[in-house]
Amino acid sequence: MQRISCPERDDWRTTAEACGFDFHTIDGERYWDERAYYAFTLEEIEEKIEAPTGEIDAMCLELVGRAVGDERYLKRLKIPEAFWPLIRESWRRDDASLYGRLDLGFDGQGTAKLLEYNADTPTSMFEAAVFQWTWLEQAIERAIIPNAADQYNSIHERLIEAWKKLGQGRHLHLAGATDNQEDAGTLAYLQDTATQAGLATTLIDIEEIGWRDGSGFVDLGYSDIALAFKLYPWEWMFQEQFGANLLMAPTRWIEPPWKAVLSNKGILPLLWEMFPNHPNLLPAYFEDDPGAQELGTSFVRKPLYSREGANVSLISEGVAFAQAHGPYGGEGFVRQALASLRPFDGQHPVLGSWLVDHTPCGLSIREDEGPITGNNSRFIPHAIL
Amino acid sequence: MKRSRRVVLTLMGSAAVSAISARLAVARPVMCGPGYEAVPGPDGFPNCRAVTHGFGGSLHHISGHGHGHAHAGG
Repeated sequence: MQRISCPERDDWRTTAEACGFDFHTIDGERYWDERAYYAFTLEEIEEKIEAPTGEIDAMCLELVGRAVGDERYLKRLKIPEAFWPLIRESWRRDDASLYGRLDLGFDGQGTAKLLEYNADTPTSMFEAAVFQWTWLEQAIERAIIPNAADQYNSIHERLIEAWKKLGQGRHLHLAGATDNQEDAGTLAYLQDTATQAGLATTLIDIEEIGWRDGSGFVDLGYSDIALAFKLYPWEWMFQEQFGANLLMAPTRWIEPPWKAVLSNKGILPLLWEMFPNHPNLLPAYFEDDPGAQELGTSFVRKPLYSREGANVSLISEGVAFAQAHGPYGGEGFVRQALASLRPFDGQHPVLGSWLVDHTPCGLSIREDEGPITGNNSRFIPHAIL
Repeated sequence: MKRSRRVVLTLMGSAAVSAISARLAVARPVMCGPGYEAVPGPDGFPNCRAVTHGFGGSLHHISGHGHGHAHAGG
């Protein structure tokens, strides 16, 4: 694994905006950054990232199967009891999942380590599936990268195939925060792939989802919402006014309710408990577990629920040397061992390993000068050399 | 070989579908049944529409770190 500096395409901004990638720069700061790329060998991709991703996903599914049958797990994950039947029923029906993104720590040495699983509302999908592919093709044409370069990326076509399976002739609604530029971009891309799969689609803001007694969730035209993709987390929906309606509604959600088990950093200690010393896991404990003492005075402290690194702290010998602020942590924290990863030119990369329909199929990389990946961390393309 | 493909977009980069939001003042009180609220219709008379804003409240409690509006993804 290498980080290789390279020239930018002089028209990359125009290229980005022409395909709807409006959020390439956020608040004046680079988000998309092609002044460098990460290079991997094919062996690294296949053996160190792709295969472990499939294995971790399988372990996670085993965890869900155990959790839905044992309320101790759901209690430890702080999932409200009112929604346990919703989660259990969606698992029993085998409600389909579209996608997820594992965040892995890997520096080319040793094995990739699971840092967390974005199982419910992963973003950076358009950049991963489309724009970094466009970069690869154009960078080869312009001799920025070697002619034989490849990329671990079959996300786009797998999304279309997955939508064909998921659609089953139903109309798809896509809902989220449409006034957030990044989320709107992700929704637009997923709508595009669903349309290419032959689904009729409607985009709706999450706040515009309506409820009609005797019918269920409806859109602004009063049409029933039978199949809904949401870029909006389960843990928020559970505590909102329509949360109680979820159990009454016939709507099938993507991602399905059982994914609420996995979109929770509590899975880190639970996986460690189920699969101790697995090569792709880091030791992890709930903060109130006496076993957390095993980590000593150096660890990463993460809230059960958070996103984009918010409220994560890195502690070394009892002193927090990196901390991200935010509104999360009310449900409690986990502690995970510090992964000893080397920086690359002063940058700390985190590998986002994508699954579509439970198939590992692509890689996205975010890097930051600091050790916590946050909302402003840059997206860097990759190539296989 | 992990590269042998074409990525095609059909909707992005062109006029995208936008969410429609109708928030107008109600001209006169109208009795709507459970699950409905009165909103002005296109003809100026109130319509009964399904109750909305049951989801999305958490966005208003979360500040948008560098993105302006809150970001629900991760």
